[in-house]
Amino acid sequence: MSGSISDDDGFKGLELRQLSRRVDNHTLVDQLSLTVAAGEILAVLGPSGCGKSSTLRLIAGLDPVSSGDIRLGGRSITALPPAERQVAMVFQSYALFPHLSVERNLSLGLELRGVDKAEIKRELDQVLTLMQLEGLRQRKPAELSGGQRQRVALARALIRRPALFLLDEPMSNLDAQLRDNLRAELRTLLRSTGVPVVYVTHDQHEAMGLADRIAVLREGRLQQLGSAETLYRDPANRFVARFLGSPSINLIERGATQLGLRPELLELADAGSAVPAGWEALEGQLSHSEWLGDRVITHVQCPGQATLKVLSREAPASETLQVRWRKSQALHFDARSGERLPGSSDPHTV
Amino acid sequence: MARLLLLLWSLGPMLWQLYSSLRPSEALSGVDAGGWTLEHYRQLLQGDPPFLTYLINSVVVGGSSTALTLALAVPCAYALSRLGRRQARSLTALVAAAAAFPAVLLFLALLELARDWHLANQLMALSLPYAGLCLPLAILLLQAAFADIPMELEEAALIEGMGLWQRLRWILLPLMAPAIASSALLVFLFSWNEYPIALTWLSRTELLTLAPAMARIAGSSVYTIPYGAFAAATVLGSAPLILLMLLFQRQIISGLTQGAIKG
Repeated sequence: MSGSISDDDGFKGLELRQLSRRVDNHTLVDQLSLTVAAGEILAVLGPSGCGKSSTLRLIAGLDPVSSGDIRLGGRSITALPPAERQVAMVFQSYALFPHLSVERNLSLGLELRGVDKAEIKRELDQVLTLMQLEGLRQRKPAELSGGQRQRVALARALIRRPALFLLDEPMSNLDAQLRDNLRAELRTLLRSTGVPVVYVTHDQHEAMGLADRIAVLREGRLQQLGSAETLYRDPANRFVARFLGSPSINLIERGATQLGLRPELLELADAGSAVPAGWEALEGQLSHSEWLGDRVITHVQCPGQATLKVLSREAPASETLQVRWRKSQALHFDARSGERLPGSSDPHTV
Repeated sequence: MARLLLLLWSLGPMLWQLYSSLRPSEALSGVDAGGWTLEHYRQLLQGDPPFLTYLINSVVVGGSSTALTLALAVPCAYALSRLGRRQARSLTALVAAAAAFPAVLLFLALLELARDWHLANQLMALSLPYAGLCLPLAILLLQAAFADIPMELEEAALIEGMGLWQRLRWILLPLMAPAIASSALLVFLFSWNEYPIALTWLSRTELLTLAPAMARIAGSSVYTIPYGAFAAATVLGSAPLILLMLLFQRQIISGLTQGAIKG
């Protein structure tokens, strides 16, 4: 908790050490430890109520920490009020000041901190140009579109030249089309700040498309931290495996264990076909198929199993099918706890 | 048509007062006498003290009551709206109970207070009981308005580095303007119309507020009721209120918070 100069550990990024937040008897964030390097984008991913927003609020200083330490630029900021943390935050609702123009929304904070008028003007011009907001200077938030409001919210965060960038589901109020277009743009912009970025989202596509690394949270606890590829191919448990990927992973019941198989790793054959060596197979009935243009998702009902989803290029030819997979590509999970079991090799090495 | 009837219904009494105030006294008591007159207004404005004195007194009392009420109610409402749910609920219940307390029961106590603290015949002192009586309702109104401001707005300001006063001054109060305007108007109206306390606390003629002053308007003899003068006093007394309403109308109606959140 001490914030003295001497405890500088030299790490320039953000570091959470055993961070916890408890309210009454409820643990919102549980012993969370992770680091985000300067210039790195970390996505915090999880379903609603998993503690991702609570984590962001702890880092911003909006909620008190129950235990643990938050370090930024090598020193503890746990005890500092939000104003002194040099963080910028983009809220899900954008939280633009509705009674102020775009220009004033950006400049008010600087003004009140006593920044020189000429400098404010210079920064304002620069950020407004960068975010393509010059034409909207005098507009009130109510007169802006959703995308424009988001740009204003980002601009307000950028103009502060923060030491840490926090974003709380900044895309959730935009329509899907705009979201896809903005992802790459936002990634470039966030990278250019050169500071650690923590990006909270419940959307796996957003996390995979934007972030360098992803932290998956569940009930306040970190499930896994790694690149999108690691999380997808080598998930730590069933929760992570199911949360990433669409269509989601197939779970095949096998007594006390479950086999996890991505839909693209399953192959279809006519029922009764010979199973090659090193492969396993189940037989079942075609339930229905979804045509996606370049791919087809085939739903197959096998006895004693949940409907299996198979992603393939061709639609199945018959009604009774064989679903098969390479044994080495299956992930093994404990059926009760959902923990990953040893013995399941990297599913993509053949 | 329905609208016209509604308009007539609500404006009728006021128009009748205006009409009565401009007719000679004889015409009002049924004697057939035509014509219009400003006699009632002349009488009032040239009285001793002139009617204007009462108007000014009422404005002074109304203004100071409103200022005092808001100065206390805004911080209280802010605190209540930011407290934990459990504490806020019990405190709000207390405030609501105070709002529901029958003020009549306080008159004797207030009179004692005025005597002990030498508050009688002091115009501004009236704002103490007035603010006291208006405070609960004003707190409840403002608390609801504070609760309507999304917490994220204040948090955004907090992260921007604004202190409490800066947040209030630049973010919260501007957004509260409609609620503050309507609470101010309510307090002002209350103090403008208040009669029993003003009657008992003020005795010197030149200090009277409108309500007790109007009650003192007398006819030429004990047996004549000065309808015309009453009507003229009513018209003069309500004119400032109507003016105030028109001035603040836009403030009260305008929905400033729209667009704060997605929408």
